[in-house]
Amino acid sequence: MDAIGWLILVVIVLVVVAVAFVIIRRKRRGGGVIATKDKG
Amino acid sequence: MLLMTASQIRGLPVVTVQGGEDVAEVRDVIYSPEAGRLVGVTLNKRGFLAGRSRDVLPAEAIHAIGQDAVMVLDESSLVTPEDAPEDVGHPATERNVLEDDILTEGGASLGKVADLVLLVGSSGEVVGYQIEKPGGERGYIPLPAQLSVSGVALVVPNMTEEFVQDDLVGLGGAVDEFRTRLGLT
Repeated sequence: MDAIGWLILVVIVLVVVAVAFVIIRRKRRGGGVIATKDKG
Repeated sequence: MLLMTASQIRGLPVVTVQGGEDVAEVRDVIYSPEAGRLVGVTLNKRGFLAGRSRDVLPAEAIHAIGQDAVMVLDESSLVTPEDAPEDVGHPATERNVLEDDILTEGGASLGKVADLVLLVGSSGEVVGYQIEKPGGERGYIPLPAQLSVSGVALVVPNMTEEFVQDDLVGLGGAVDEFRTRLGLT
């Protein structure tokens, strides 16, 4: 594999890692709008 | 009158008035449909990949909610679930209303819940929902001061259909008129 091939491979790996970080962060941060149960 | 959506509040930093420390971040917004007001928020720890915090923040301990931060007096405002009201300490996460259908009492679908609209400041009053209409576009509906939420659909008065607004400014004006027409004010 020549230099361009390695460069493309590195870019692809970086993109995959970045997307994985974003997905993991979103899952960990979570969040929603929760309604309490009626008391009456 | 400052109207904010729950999604604008979620993710806001929780900052102490005494010291200006950034102690947590808002995770879930918990509200009482029966009382028509915010009852508290759950929290995330600070940090890029930090997850849920064990502590929660009851509405009574919130000093102010602004556009850029939720203010508390000091770090002792954050309490453990055991010391918080039951609804805040152990929120019913299965009762997340986002994506719930909105039906009028006459059986017409107004769309799905996209967000909750709150009057922030001292009361934390819930004034409406942002909805995703059946066609896909967004709108806002006012809510009565009290609303029952059960199952997967929220049932609103028939009259709500006449008060669907395109933006938050329109909603602010529509809430009082809507409640007057319902005989609630």
